Amino acid sequence: MQPTLDLEEIERWMQTVIMHPGGVRQGLACEDARRYAEKTDDNIEAIVARSTALTAIERLAIYSRAYQARLLECLRAEFPALSHALGADLFNRFACDYLQRHPSRSYTLGRLGEEFPRYLAETRPDANLSPSSRESWPDFIIDLATLEREFSEVFDGPGVEGQQVVVEDDLSELLASERWTEAMLVTVPCLRLLSFRYPVNTYFLAARKNEDAEFPEPALTLLALMRRDYRVFLHELSHDQYEVLKALTAREPLAQAIKRATPTGVDSDAFADKLIEWLNSWAVAGFFSAIVVPS
Amino acid sequence: MTSKRFALPNLGLGVGLRSAHFSYILENQPDVDWFEIISENFMDSGGRPRYVLDQIAERYPVVMHGVSLSIGSTDPLDFDYLNKLKRLADETRAVWVSDHLCWTGVAGLNAHDLLPIPLNESTLAHVVSRIRTVQDLLERPLILENPSTYVTFSGSTFSEWEFMNQMAVEADCGLLLDVNNVYVSSVNHDFDPVEYVESVARERIVQFHLAGHTNCGTHLIDTHDAQVIDPVWKLFGRAHSLTSGAATLLEWDANIPEFPVLHAEVLKARNYLTSDWADALPAGSARTFHDQAAAGVPHPLDFIVPNID
Repeated sequence: MQPTLDLEEIERWMQTVIMHPGGVRQGLACEDARRYAEKTDDNIEAIVARSTALTAIERLAIYSRAYQARLLECLRAEFPALSHALGADLFNRFACDYLQRHPSRSYTLGRLGEEFPRYLAETRPDANLSPSSRESWPDFIIDLATLEREFSEVFDGPGVEGQQVVVEDDLSELLASERWTEAMLVTVPCLRLLSFRYPVNTYFLAARKNEDAEFPEPALTLLALMRRDYRVFLHELSHDQYEVLKALTAREPLAQAIKRATPTGVDSDAFADKLIEWLNSWAVAGFFSAIVVPS
Repeated sequence: MTSKRFALPNLGLGVGLRSAHFSYILENQPDVDWFEIISENFMDSGGRPRYVLDQIAERYPVVMHGVSLSIGSTDPLDFDYLNKLKRLADETRAVWVSDHLCWTGVAGLNAHDLLPIPLNESTLAHVVSRIRTVQDLLERPLILENPSTYVTFSGSTFSEWEFMNQMAVEADCGLLLDVNNVYVSSVNHDFDPVEYVESVARERIVQFHLAGHTNCGTHLIDTHDAQVIDPVWKLFGRAHSLTSGAATLLEWDANIPEFPVLHAEVLKARNYLTSDWADALPAGSARTFHDQAAAGVPHPLDFIVPNID
């Protein structure tokens, strides 16, 4: 018996068929699609008509190919350095599997890749081993994907262009006051602090500029990703700088930031001098939107 | 000149705003009549795309063209999406808001494709009801485009132009006639594109689209990656003469040329704005692919990603 489907059933059937990772023939044969129509030519052509040139299945296959091709194109565009590192075939395999597990649920393609780094972390081949027993190359791949996604989010997320930010003079005024250690420096929303196991920033920049990108050796890499005047910058940070900025983004007062970041055995007054130097350079880079001194 | 419906203006000859041309447009302020944006690329933007749009909207008329309204879906309308759409339209003073007669996903998913629906009384009632809701929320008419399609449904009882005409009257919405899509679908579905253009409700047409496509031998794909071909120009000439003119826009989404090349392509439309359109100059031919995997992706698809300086 040929199926008579209403609009919702047709849409669910067609979506199942064209989004199937194995292509349209596997899509037609899968259980979800067969709930609406058994895979026979008569049944399929009771839903989709043939043209003079193509059968119903061949016509559905156009949508099936387009679904994969379109979304792979978008992921390649968002993760060009990752695609370079993995090579086209392996990148496509990861991306196809990711799309199957995380199909788009948003009106915008801007969110298509938001779970890709987490997907790579969760599906790494040695995920069930203890961290010390794992191979290190997946760390590089996951770190690189994370950086590319963070870069996209900072590029098009909220920023402070056109708004007043803390400048060096504001900071000088604060530091001249007696209560400066009680102040909180509010960081701008377009600042992200990132910790990586590899120097992925070097690889990222080289790959995106189509320069030779060598696989780096592992090395703890701490970065501040920051947008200014609609351009995104990568700032390398020392461990102490990273700790200070982490405390400030958590809205902790400067005294607390100093305490957290002062290396063991180092005099906190001496560290404060170094901190002031950093704060000035970060103010120049536009890291802070406001100074809050408790009343 | 004003189109007959909704007192919306004939904006002249415009092009689709694509990120590859952001810097050129800001620096050179080209003499383009108007720009059309892909709405979803700017609805959530807090960065350079939105900044560029705001600059452009200061100098040029802007029209919003969406790809995710999914008016034909059986999923509930996404009111969060619609509210953002309205906010963007208000903020950019969009001259009108358009999308496609299609669905893009169901069960909460988005295939990011313009998928066709069966064309019959039941689906007409479904779509009309949803258009009314959208128009009430947007507080402006919705303009809907005929998509390029690659399947038809055995359960269809209307031709596409019959469906579009009834839809436009019953929902009181406008039409965006994509002449290239008429041509692509006519080859894919074995109908006469001239009959379509001559039969579609001309008094409802607010805008025309033009684009290039790819010939795959057994079918055409709407790839937006090349010049407009001669038969499409001729169809456009016919449609234009029947409507007494409407805003006309060129879409180019892959293998995007330098801006002056894009602009020159849409200006070819001037050759077809007269009554002797049939004798106008030819303008290129579609790329032919027999390897379907190499044929490219159906568009519109413009996904903005950041550049590295």
